[in-house]
Amino acid sequence: MTRFLVKRIGMMIVTLFLIALLTFVLMHAVPGGPFTSDKQVSKAVMDALNEKYKLNDPLWKQFLDYMRGLVRFDLGPSFKYQGKTVNDFISNGLPYSAKLGAITLVFVLCASIPMGIISALRNGKWQDMLVMALATVGVTIPSFVIATGLIYFFSFKLGWTPVYGVDKWQGYILPVIAMGGYSVSFLARLMRSSLLDVMGQDYIRTARAKGISETRVILKHALRNALIPVITVLGPTVANLLTGSFVIEKIFAIPGMGGYFVNSVTQRDYTTIMGMTVFYAAFLIAMVFIVDLFYCLIDPRIKYD
Amino acid sequence: MKKFLSLLMCAVMLMTMVSLASADPAQEIVYALSNEPDGIDPGVTNNSFASPILENAFEGLVAYSTENGSLIPGEAESWTISEDGLTYTFTLREGLKWSDGTDHTAQDYVYAMKRILDPNTEAKYVDFLLGYVAGAEAYYADNSIGFDTVGVAAPDDRTVVFTLAAPAPYWIDILSMWTFRPVQEATIAANGERWTAAADTYVSNGPFRMAEINLGESFVLEKNPYYYDADAVKLEKITFRFISDLGTSLMAYENGDIDGMSSIPTTDMARLKAEDKGVVVSPSYGTVYYDINNAKEPFDNVLVRKAFNLAVDRLAIIEDVVQTEAEPAYSFMAPGYVVNGEDLMDTASDNGLSEEADVEAAREALAEAGYPNGEGFPEITLSYYSNETVGKVVEALARQLQDALNIKIKISNADWAVYYDDIIAGNYDIGAMGWSGDYVHPMTFLALFVTGDVNNNVFYSNEEYDALVKQAANMTDAAEAFQVMRQAEAIAAAEYPVLPLYYKANTMLMNQKVAGFFVTTSNGLLLKTAYVAE
Repeated sequence: MTRFLVKRIGMMIVTLFLIALLTFVLMHAVPGGPFTSDKQVSKAVMDALNEKYKLNDPLWKQFLDYMRGLVRFDLGPSFKYQGKTVNDFISNGLPYSAKLGAITLVFVLCASIPMGIISALRNGKWQDMLVMALATVGVTIPSFVIATGLIYFFSFKLGWTPVYGVDKWQGYILPVIAMGGYSVSFLARLMRSSLLDVMGQDYIRTARAKGISETRVILKHALRNALIPVITVLGPTVANLLTGSFVIEKIFAIPGMGGYFVNSVTQRDYTTIMGMTVFYAAFLIAMVFIVDLFYCLIDPRIKYD
Repeated sequence: MKKFLSLLMCAVMLMTMVSLASADPAQEIVYALSNEPDGIDPGVTNNSFASPILENAFEGLVAYSTENGSLIPGEAESWTISEDGLTYTFTLREGLKWSDGTDHTAQDYVYAMKRILDPNTEAKYVDFLLGYVAGAEAYYADNSIGFDTVGVAAPDDRTVVFTLAAPAPYWIDILSMWTFRPVQEATIAANGERWTAAADTYVSNGPFRMAEINLGESFVLEKNPYYYDADAVKLEKITFRFISDLGTSLMAYENGDIDGMSSIPTTDMARLKAEDKGVVVSPSYGTVYYDINNAKEPFDNVLVRKAFNLAVDRLAIIEDVVQTEAEPAYSFMAPGYVVNGEDLMDTASDNGLSEEADVEAAREALAEAGYPNGEGFPEITLSYYSNETVGKVVEALARQLQDALNIKIKISNADWAVYYDDIIAGNYDIGAMGWSGDYVHPMTFLALFVTGDVNNNVFYSNEEYDALVKQAANMTDAAEAFQVMRQAEAIAAAEYPVLPLYYKANTMLMNQKVAGFFVTTSNGLLLKTAYVAE
């Protein structure tokens, strides 16, 4: 187990380094620079800016400087927002994104797993049809359409929830539904097919033959095995939800991380692009790692040596 | 008895409700901004999204009247201009204070200018000092020569003196820009460039001061009790909330959750006006036009540029495509500069253009240029930056030009950062552009077409024009300069250096209960005298 952990952590660091390197190279290969604004500045100002942010240094030196900051968790100053650092964006935005994401995650789990179970156990009946119809809608309709529709009916027409922001707890309701819609649908379908598959296995028949109650068969024998594929996709899903959705944050005017991530790319805000990418990548890798550890708990047959 | 009690309670409740309703409305507004500014340091930023903060939290020597937008004394109660037009002496009001209650003197202006001329400050508008103030250029190039060499001084606590390198009759207009507003040395020395990051270190001197900074979410301003004219300020609290999705902010506005918003979705403009929902249209000192690469074949031929200008149906673009309130433009220069009651553009020629296309004349001009019926005309590219409205205009424009002139047009688009670099480098045929005056003086437009100017991206060049602009720039008499600038405008506009479409108008939504605000021609929202009426 120790060997496995050391190996995995080593791999994670290498992966992160490669992601940083690749992002850095691609970012500088894209035409346009961070200091093109809506009004042209003179050459003298441009020179001063390039000098200040060390953009005149050779690329390899810029990269080394950046990595030196990164190991100290210093993501550098934003090139676009004066007096702000990338750490500011993360420390301000992450709490919003993470809180929204955590609530969405709870919603996703509480909705999708029961939906999948019901639809698998009532395979072919009206309950199954209903769940699968909902799931199809959730997968096919993009979140921004759901979000706009929800605001229009519940905030604008009925006035039950605020139009924007999360100052009040009611503000979380619509973004959570809009953001979680896809994951709920996806996980419900996955849960259903996985459970159906397990229910047809020999050991379930054996368990039933032994005279164990149906509830116990499902909870103890079927569900535990059926959850493995769901847990596999849960890692990336958690990372996705917690780091924020640009679209949802934009529509509901939530000051999370998503907006900075996307805007930094069009604005060529180099340090912000790097910082957000590396942060997101680290988060994703960590989540996948945690999921791998969870496998052992769920399925004793899986062992890491 | 129970019945009586409940009746009594109802009566009491009703009475409190009535008294609540008749109380003065809270002097607080929430205004949605579609973008977060890249910074709110008046010396550094040139970002127009910073305007709502900088116009209300800071004040310079001169200010805009909130009644009619004319320039009035700000922190300076009066000023004199020397006879040679080079020395401007300002006398500050007595007892000026910063928003933290400390004294604010003439020396603060000297500090603010010195800071801008330090290259490490990265002041984006430093050109407005370099180009005008005596000694500024030499000092900017080498700070070690000492600030005494620069024409900014404070002989005593209430006197600020600017000495110019050459006369510029519009210097007062330039001084109204936020770049020239004072900043407090103490807070900047203590906090560096992060002085703008927190409300308590963001010391200002205007009618309002910062109460809260919520990164990515909002700026909250409150009334500044130390402002010299605080009695005139009625609003207690202004929340500038960033809502980048216009659909969301419009629903919030129509729901009554917010009191105003800076941009209106074009598709809703007509409905909002018809329903009288508080659309505010104010004149702007700017023009929407398309850059034409005057240095590149076939556009080095004035007849080709004329043909393109004639082939455009401006009315269709304004009414059907952009769906806005705007006047068609036949020149790069926008109206709005008035001397002795006369607008510079009052006598301007329409340069043979009209609000609808003149296809006949356009074809004739193209034939005269050597391309009868568009034959032999190279395929040209119409470029634009990624923006929904601009994209629609570009498509309409391309269709109009193709149909009228029987030529081939390719459309290309890129992110602004990439697009603008191409425009500056001259790698384009025709490109979407526009100009909003930094200050209300024709020189802001005229400089754009002077040979070799940093902003002359169309590469127009005319010696006579250059000479007239230079002459006007150095004239001390506003009325005389007015006539020379008129001549210059006429010369350039007649040679179609750009493809003008319409004159910009500023549009915004504001709750009809809010009164007393003013929108300047540079789209600055002045809330000093604004209030919430019953």
